[in-house]
Amino acid sequence: MYYNNKKLALSFLWIILGAVLMGLSVAEVLTSSYYSGMGGALLAVGILQVIRNLRYRNDKEYQEKIDVEYGDERNRYLRMMSWAWTGYLVVLIEAAGVVVALVMGQHTIQIILAYSVCLIVGIYWIVHMILKRKY
Amino acid sequence: MKNRIEEIRNERGIRQDELAKLMGVSRQTISSLENGRYNPSILLAHKIAKFFGMTIEDVFIFEDLQED
Repeated sequence: MYYNNKKLALSFLWIILGAVLMGLSVAEVLTSSYYSGMGGALLAVGILQVIRNLRYRNDKEYQEKIDVEYGDERNRYLRMMSWAWTGYLVVLIEAAGVVVALVMGQHTIQIILAYSVCLIVGIYWIVHMILKRKY
Repeated sequence: MKNRIEEIRNERGIRQDELAKLMGVSRQTISSLENGRYNPSILLAHKIAKFFGMTIEDVFIFEDLQED
């Protein structure tokens, strides 16, 4: 069962959070347009998820389709591999970016990218250690 | 890893989508298995073999090859 009460509650949380951010932006408590944009996005995602969740509960055919789509082991494998490759490529691209920024004399960007690479590698090792204990 | 899924499925007149539904996977998974592009988990291999009334070794042909 892919969509459950927990996911529905989370969707309502996105809606509330989105509405609060938008409300604060309209009331000009938060002045940056970044917050209203973020609020709108959260609101849209929340509403979409609630619609999907309700359809999942009422439409048996849709329920079956979603369960197969998310439960299918090949799809899970593909998702896992996609994330693995994404992480790997991000580290390589950022590492190349560090060198480019160094050559171009963009030291702030260079430092941000270098720390970002360190953070990703650090997270990788923490996750790896946790998984090693688990399996 | 090679397998005889397509051969056995055709012998029994079962369509890919029917087998997929019975196994609780997508039709694309059955297609990828038959083409040898995807190796199943031991659970799915067991489920498929059990469905055909065979052993895993009867359906899946294990080869001592290094995977990429």
